[in-house]
Amino acid sequence: MSDTRPQGQPDEAVVDLAIKQVTEGLSPAEQRALDVMDSELASAYLRDLERAAAAVTLAGSAGEEPLPAALSARIAEQAAEHFASSSMVTDLSEARTPAAKAGVRPSPAPARANRFGNYGWLAAAACLVLAIFGWEHSPPPPVAVATPAPVTVPSPEKPAPQPEKPLPPTVAEERAALLAKTDSLKIPLGASKDPAAIGVTGDVVWDPATQRGFLHFAGLAPNDPAMHQYQIWIFDAGRDKRYPVDGGVFDVPADASDVIIPIRASLMVRKPAAFAVTLEKPGGVVVSGREHVIALGQAG
Amino acid sequence: MSSSVLQRIAGGDSAAVRECIDQYGPLVWSIARRLSRTPSDAEDAAQEIFLDIWRSASRFDASQGSDKVFIAMIARRRLIDRLRKTSAEPPMDPVEVLDTVVWADPGTASETSIEAEQAARALAELRPEHRQVLELGLLHGLSQSEIAARLSMPLGTVKSFMRRGLIKVRELMNVDAEGVLSEG
Repeated sequence: MSDTRPQGQPDEAVVDLAIKQVTEGLSPAEQRALDVMDSELASAYLRDLERAAAAVTLAGSAGEEPLPAALSARIAEQAAEHFASSSMVTDLSEARTPAAKAGVRPSPAPARANRFGNYGWLAAAACLVLAIFGWEHSPPPPVAVATPAPVTVPSPEKPAPQPEKPLPPTVAEERAALLAKTDSLKIPLGASKDPAAIGVTGDVVWDPATQRGFLHFAGLAPNDPAMHQYQIWIFDAGRDKRYPVDGGVFDVPADASDVIIPIRASLMVRKPAAFAVTLEKPGGVVVSGREHVIALGQAG
Repeated sequence: MSSSVLQRIAGGDSAAVRECIDQYGPLVWSIARRLSRTPSDAEDAAQEIFLDIWRSASRFDASQGSDKVFIAMIARRRLIDRLRKTSAEPPMDPVEVLDTVVWADPGTASETSIEAEQAARALAELRPEHRQVLELGLLHGLSQSEIAARLSMPLGTVKSFMRRGLIKVRELMNVDAEGVLSEG
């Protein structure tokens, strides 16, 4: 039978799934089916359809409403924190961080659109979180996420240099300052049975007032950022527990033993109930499939 | 040639961040309002969308489209994902909000963006029932099943209308892009 498809158009099944993806999203099973059919042609077709859907959205948005002033201010604040965190992380290798300065730097390498490989997920890890939170599986959209680089923890006894002009604090110093605050949350992280979590110890410090916090890990396995990245999740008692707040993604380099990672909450966390770390595809996901839960810590 | 606001963000221009919020905030807010269940959801969504924009700015390629369409794509991805999480009911009653859609005029939509102009022209060529299906699906976030129920239309017909409409827009955009390339 001859192929009567128009030139540049993938087969019918891909077209159907691509249209569903750009209009209402796919179920996990449909996403897996599309992954299997994934090809350069299908990806290009999907991009075109997504662009067409966006263009229709623009054509139907001629009567735009102004962004509420309070929301605009919150977004600006969030942007300042995001870029401060990015530049802070960038400068970690210099051991000093411009934490107070909201600089902007280019995003790191974009998340690849490649799919999960077969990683040997451990049911036990998923069950751990399912038992506690009842996370719900849903397909993640491809979203590029900035990737903080962790830092090696300097010796706590090492005195900070005293230059004429005070230097911004290191991440370790910032974490220490948060630890010293009486109203900050200090939560030990329990390791799961995931291979990446073997021998891992860690903790979280979180300041509800400033919405800032740090993860500290010892023994966390290095990851290949082209294959997977670690992702932080914050469970807010004030929100639906199935959908924890994204706390950002991070990598552990091969030569790091102790790492500190600034938490970048994407939304306001009103009542932090728990923190978790999962291993996800590069760039992270919007909703975790919970297959690779690495560590978990509950407040209170 | 001046850089787009996204390219400036990716290049480290902190002033571009504020500019981006001012310039595209109304667009993001309009889309978020339409594709969210409550104003509170829309506020959360708008914040997440802008975070996605900061994270994705370096991926913006001006040769592939305008800032505006790139931002609309990011917004749609995020909102579709949020809708899927709570798919028990559509974001709003489309009967109540259909009147709130203000379609760009094909003759003036280029003031919004080239892509909006192309889409408006493609939409103008569609049959009203095809356009209605696109509107319910793309602007109001209804699933194909929900559209079928809403319009008392077989699901297969909805799928077919959605498919024809989107492919029509896609084709027109690609033809225009090829025309621009060949003229260059």
